Amino acid sequence: MIHTWAWIGWLISALVALSITRNPLYLFLILLCIALVGWTQERRLSSESSQTQNLLPFSPFKFVLVIITLSALFNAVISHFGETVLFSLPEWLPFLGGPITLEALAFGAINGLVLGGIFAAFTVLNLALPVRSLVRLIPRAYYPVAVITSIAITFIPNATRQFHHIREAQAIRGHRVRGLRGWLPLIMPLLVGGLERALGLAEAMTARGFASSEGGNQTSQTRLGMVLGLLMLFGGWLLRLIEGGQLLGIGLMILGITLIAAMLWSIGRSVPRTNYNQEIWRFRDFLVLIGSMGVISAFLLPIPWIDQSILHYNPYPILNLPGFDPLIGAATMGLLIPIFIIKPK
Amino acid sequence: MTKRFSTSRLLSFLTYGVTTSMGLILFIYPFLFPALTQKSTLGQARLTEMPLLITLLLALCLVVLLYEVQGQAVDTKLIALLGILVAINSALRFMEVAIPGPAGFSPIFFLIILTGYVFGGRFGFLLGVLTIFVSAIVTGGVGPWLPSQMFAAGWVGMSAPLCRPLVNKLDGEGKISEVIILAVFGALWGLGYGVIMNLWTWPFIAGPTDQYWQTGISWVEILQRYGAYYLITSLAWDFIRAAGNFLLILLLGAPTLIALRRFKHRFTFTYRSSDSQGSKLDQTGDAS
Repeated sequence: MIHTWAWIGWLISALVALSITRNPLYLFLILLCIALVGWTQERRLSSESSQTQNLLPFSPFKFVLVIITLSALFNAVISHFGETVLFSLPEWLPFLGGPITLEALAFGAINGLVLGGIFAAFTVLNLALPVRSLVRLIPRAYYPVAVITSIAITFIPNATRQFHHIREAQAIRGHRVRGLRGWLPLIMPLLVGGLERALGLAEAMTARGFASSEGGNQTSQTRLGMVLGLLMLFGGWLLRLIEGGQLLGIGLMILGITLIAAMLWSIGRSVPRTNYNQEIWRFRDFLVLIGSMGVISAFLLPIPWIDQSILHYNPYPILNLPGFDPLIGAATMGLLIPIFIIKPK
Repeated sequence: MTKRFSTSRLLSFLTYGVTTSMGLILFIYPFLFPALTQKSTLGQARLTEMPLLITLLLALCLVVLLYEVQGQAVDTKLIALLGILVAINSALRFMEVAIPGPAGFSPIFFLIILTGYVFGGRFGFLLGVLTIFVSAIVTGGVGPWLPSQMFAAGWVGMSAPLCRPLVNKLDGEGKISEVIILAVFGALWGLGYGVIMNLWTWPFIAGPTDQYWQTGISWVEILQRYGAYYLITSLAWDFIRAAGNFLLILLLGAPTLIALRRFKHRFTFTYRSSDSQGSKLDQTGDAS
């Protein structure tokens, strides 16, 4: 329903917000927005009986709660900083002994909120985008990779089915899986059958003229350009780590990314691509993008009437209440726009 | 022709060198920071932007390396072969996600190592990278961890041919010594993969900056801290993966190597266009 690139914009804005702030109030708000969008998306998927996208054997949002809890406990046990001591572990315990502080617990929970938020944002993207949209994101320059990915995705259900058939056939013969050696009569027919199929596919592809074995669209210029772009990017990153080199570093990084993108674009131009289902950019996609840009602006750009110092928060040495700027809070709500667009069928 | 060939090899060497060393630096950067600067504003920078920046840099390293590898290692036959092998390996990973094995055990490295060993490092790299990518798409595992996982799995496949000199020295091709060498190699990568993946997450979850990442503290101290972290959180988990790789290769390696070698010969057919000797497929090797 929402355009792939609008979802990508939404994801980027959530990631930018999550990576910039350590204020638990904003982190909680971002996570709440992501969870609401995810919940709406899940409801839509569950209303479509044929849709079976969520293949994970656990609830991703419960998993986020586990991440936060574990991160808090883990940090409290290994980090003994902070002034509010809750209790102490015996000193003779290697790595773990010492005071358990409220501040360390809070710091760990904040880390968990960030990690959980990143995980949740990607989970929503995985729920929202069908596999074909994700494959379509592979740049044209990676035509062979895209073909391999398409073949693999097409054959995965086949490979799984074949595995079940082999297992049933072996069970009829009285075979039981006992230990790793028991897998041999299952894995080998799967592998050899797959290789036979690959040979047939290779012959069919060759017979249909899919036989470009001369290195495809690679030229010395594009290869050199890619490496140069990467070196610029890396140099810029190193410069950013040195006092005073921040601005030059950013410039160099942007130049590097631009060079790599230009090379990919130039290579991709020579690769024709056709789409059976063309995605259409609609007004609602524009709204999602506007909301996402609002989030990025509030968290990243130096806007005079927004106090961005409030985004930084450190629970050490003694836990204090984090501040809250309602304008940043309101901008964060931009992440909720997909909720009003996703409709259960 | 020779000049073009040497320029191409030089560029290839440059790309492999730059991307691999950059990838390595990006993974071990927590250890390098004290050496880079004593007065950097690193602590704050790490807290705000470093996770995404590292992901971006790793992803772009992968983008450049993948572009290089795909051009050199992939022709029509290998595209089909890779597609099917990626599907098989992804199906194995899918089963692993659906029915989790003990601790860090994963059946995917077995095929990545053996295929990289038989078909070459580039092929192994592509199998590693694409297995992680495709299985992530199918199981909903796309996330910021993906570039690191792809890189590490790619390295597993790319480094597999490093076993060849030792196998040749022992004259072990087709013998049990070859399988043992590959099994030990798989066990080492079982631990190595865990170490690499931990390095990606460690700086962001380990604790307060002044405890874990003080600029100016010695490499030895950082290594000690990482060692302690690894010992507590990951060693047992990774050990299961290492043992799983070892046993899988030891028990299933010999017949798999025979099958892969047989199909390597069968995949050496060449296509001759109609303007030379008429349109025909010339199949060589031991196919019958």
